[in-house]
Amino acid sequence: MEQVWILPAIPFATFLVLGLFNRFIPRRGDGLAVLGMAAVVVLVGVVLADFQNFFVDGIFTPGGEHAYAEEWVDIGQGFFLIEFSTYVDSVTMVMLPVVSFVALMVLVYSIGYMKGEQRYGWYFAALSLFVSAMLLLVISGNLLQLYLAWEGVGLASYLLIGFYWERQAAAEAAKKAFITTRIGDVGLLIGIILLWRVTGSFDIQEIIHAAQEGVFDQTYLTVAMIFLFAGAAGKSAQFPFHVWLPDAMEGPTPVSALIHAATMVVAGVYLVARMLPVYDEVLIARDVVLYTGLLTALMAATMGLVATDIKRVLAFSTVSQLGFMFVALGVGALTAAMFHLFTHAFFKSLLFLGSGSVIHATDEQEVQELGGLRKKMPVTTITFTIGSLALAGLPFLAGFWSKDEILHDLQKHGPMWAYVVLAATAALTAIYTTRVVLLTFFGKPKNQQAYDRAHESPPIMTVPLMILAALAIVAGFVTYTGVGEALGFVGGIGEVVYLPAEGAHRFELDWAFAAGASATAVAGVVIGVAYWWGDAKRAAAARNWAPELHQLFARRYYIDELYQAVINNVVMGASRVVAWFDKKVVNETGVDGATQFIGFLGYRLKFLQTGRIPNYALGMALGVAALAVVAIGTT
Amino acid sequence: MIPLENFLILSAILFATGLYGVLARRSAILILMSVELMLAAVSINFIAFASYLDGDAFSGLIFALFVITVAAAEVGLALGIVLRLFRERQTAYVDSADSMKW
Repeated sequence: MEQVWILPAIPFATFLVLGLFNRFIPRRGDGLAVLGMAAVVVLVGVVLADFQNFFVDGIFTPGGEHAYAEEWVDIGQGFFLIEFSTYVDSVTMVMLPVVSFVALMVLVYSIGYMKGEQRYGWYFAALSLFVSAMLLLVISGNLLQLYLAWEGVGLASYLLIGFYWERQAAAEAAKKAFITTRIGDVGLLIGIILLWRVTGSFDIQEIIHAAQEGVFDQTYLTVAMIFLFAGAAGKSAQFPFHVWLPDAMEGPTPVSALIHAATMVVAGVYLVARMLPVYDEVLIARDVVLYTGLLTALMAATMGLVATDIKRVLAFSTVSQLGFMFVALGVGALTAAMFHLFTHAFFKSLLFLGSGSVIHATDEQEVQELGGLRKKMPVTTITFTIGSLALAGLPFLAGFWSKDEILHDLQKHGPMWAYVVLAATAALTAIYTTRVVLLTFFGKPKNQQAYDRAHESPPIMTVPLMILAALAIVAGFVTYTGVGEALGFVGGIGEVVYLPAEGAHRFELDWAFAAGASATAVAGVVIGVAYWWGDAKRAAAARNWAPELHQLFARRYYIDELYQAVINNVVMGASRVVAWFDKKVVNETGVDGATQFIGFLGYRLKFLQTGRIPNYALGMALGVAALAVVAIGTT
Repeated sequence: MIPLENFLILSAILFATGLYGVLARRSAILILMSVELMLAAVSINFIAFASYLDGDAFSGLIFALFVITVAAAEVGLALGIVLRLFRERQTAYVDSADSMKW
C-alpha cells in the first residue's frame, strides 16, 4: 500500500514517452497508452485486495485507512511542511476503479474514434497526463498535493478541450474552462491557506481532527470551507462557475466522456466528500453546498431541456447530476453522493461515447439534423437508450438506486421544499433525456445526407459501449449487502463508504419511497414520449406557448452575456488604470526618467575631461588634500 | 639641537614649492624637477623624524634610501615618456597632449 504512488506514475511515464517520442513509436503509441491503463486497472485490483487485507491472511476482511507520508521540504522545523502523502480509504476505493476503468474504456474507444486525426499521438499523451493527475488527486493525503494534482487535471483539460486548436471556438472554450476554474482555484488556495494558518498542517486527516476538536473559531472555519467549496464549484461546474462545461464540448467526444462526465468534474465532489467531517462542524458552509447544488441541478436541467446539440444536452445533464451529488453532500450523506458518483460515471460516459458514435458516423451533432438512426446503428441505439434510462432513474437500473438514495436522504435530513425541487429536477431529467433519445434515434430522419452517412461503429468503439451499458444496468446493485459480500466487501456500499457521523448502514428498500421515485421517473419518460414522439407537434406547440421562457433556457439565462459585460467593464476598466500607471509612472518617470537624468549629468560633467595633464594633476592634489582633511578630522 | 619643527617647516616649504611647480609648469622636464623636489622634501621629513624621535629606530633613514632609489628609477621611466611625447608632438609642453578629452 505504500507503493500506491505507482498508480499515477504509470500514466505519467506514458505521457512522457508519448509526448516526446510518439513519432517514433509504431501506431503513435496508442497501444502503449492502453497497455499502461490496463496495468493500472489491474493494479487497482491489487490495491483493492490489499485494502481488504487479502495479502495479510488470504481472506477479505474489513478495510481501514492506510496513510503514508514522506517529507519533502521542511521550512522552519515543521512550520511549513511539504510532504508527499497518500491516504487510501473507502472513498478512495470508490474513485480508483471508476477513474481507471472509465479511462480504459475511453482509451480503447479513442483508438477507433480518433483514427486518422493529426496529432493522434499527442491525444493519447494528454489523456495519460490527465489520468495520472486524477489518480494523484484521489490518493493525496494533504491539501497541497491535492492542489498540485488539481491544477494538473485543469491543465490536461485545457490541452484536451483545445485539441482542435485550429478552430477558434475550441481555443476560446479551452481558455474559458481554464480561466473559470482558475477563479475557483484561487478560492481553494485561500481556503487551504486559512486552514493551514490555524492548524499549521496541510494534512487532511490532521485538519479534520483539529476541526472536530474545536480548534477553529466557527466563523473562521465557515469562511475557509466556503472558499474551499468555491474551488470545488469551479472544477465541478456548479453555479456560478458552470459556464465552462457546455463550451468544453468543443473537445473530442471521448475527452468529454472521460473528463467532463466521469472524472475531472467529480474532483470537486471528491474534495467536499473528503472534507465532509469538517463541513459537518460548520453547518452554514454545508448549507451553502446544499443550496448551490440544488440551484445548479434545477438550472442545468432546464437548460438541457432546450439544447439542440446532443453533447450540450449531456453537458447540462452532467452539471445537473453533479448538483445532485452536492445536494447529497450538503445534507451530510456521503454514501449517497459517492454512490451516485459511481453510477453516474458509468452511464454518463456511456452516453457521451454513444453520442460520439453518432457524431463519428453522421458528422452531425445537432439533433435537428438527426433522427431515425435506430435502424442503421442498433448497438449504439440500445446502449444509448440504456444509459438514458439509467440517467432518468428507471427502476432497477444503476441510476435509480443512487438517485433514490439521494432523494431519500434529502427528505430525511433536508427541508421539504428542497426535496420537492430535487424531485422535480429528477422528473425533468427523465424528460430531457427521453427527448434526446427520441429526436436522435427514433422518428423520421430530418437530414437525409446525415442519415445516409450513418453506419454502425466498429467493434473497438461498440465493445466499450456494451461493457459500460452492462455496468449501467448492474452497478446499482452494489448497494445490497449480498452483492457487496460476494465482491469481498463487508457489505453493501452503505456499509463500506460512510461518514463516521452517518454510521454504516445496511440498505433496506423503502418500497413506498421507491415507488414514488420510480413513478416520477416513469412519468418523465412518458411526458417525453408524449411530446417528442413522431414529429414532435406537442413540443413545438409548447415552445410557442412560452417563447420567452424557451429563450431564457436556450440562452443559458444570459449568464454568459452578464459575465462578458462584467469583464468588459470592470476587468478592462481596471486594467486600463493599471496600464496607465505602468506607462506613465513606471515607464516614463521611472525608467526613462532615470536614464535621462543620468544622461543630463553626463552632459554637464563631461567638461571635466579636458585632456590636459595639469588639470588632472590639480584634481589629484585636491583629492589628496580632501582625504588629509577627512583623515585628520576624524582622528 | 635645533628644534624638530624647523626641519618640518623646511620640508613643508619645499613640498609646497614642488607642488606648485607640478601644477603650474608647462614643460615636462620642469614638472619632473618639481616632483624630485617633492620627493626630497619627503625624505627630509623622514630623516628628521628618525633622528629626533627615537635614536635606535632608523627606519626613517632606510625609507629615505628607498625614496632616492625609487626616484631615480621613476625619473628614468618618466624621461622615456617625455622623449616619446617630444617625438610625437615636437614639443615638450604637457598641454600639447590633450587629445583624450570630451
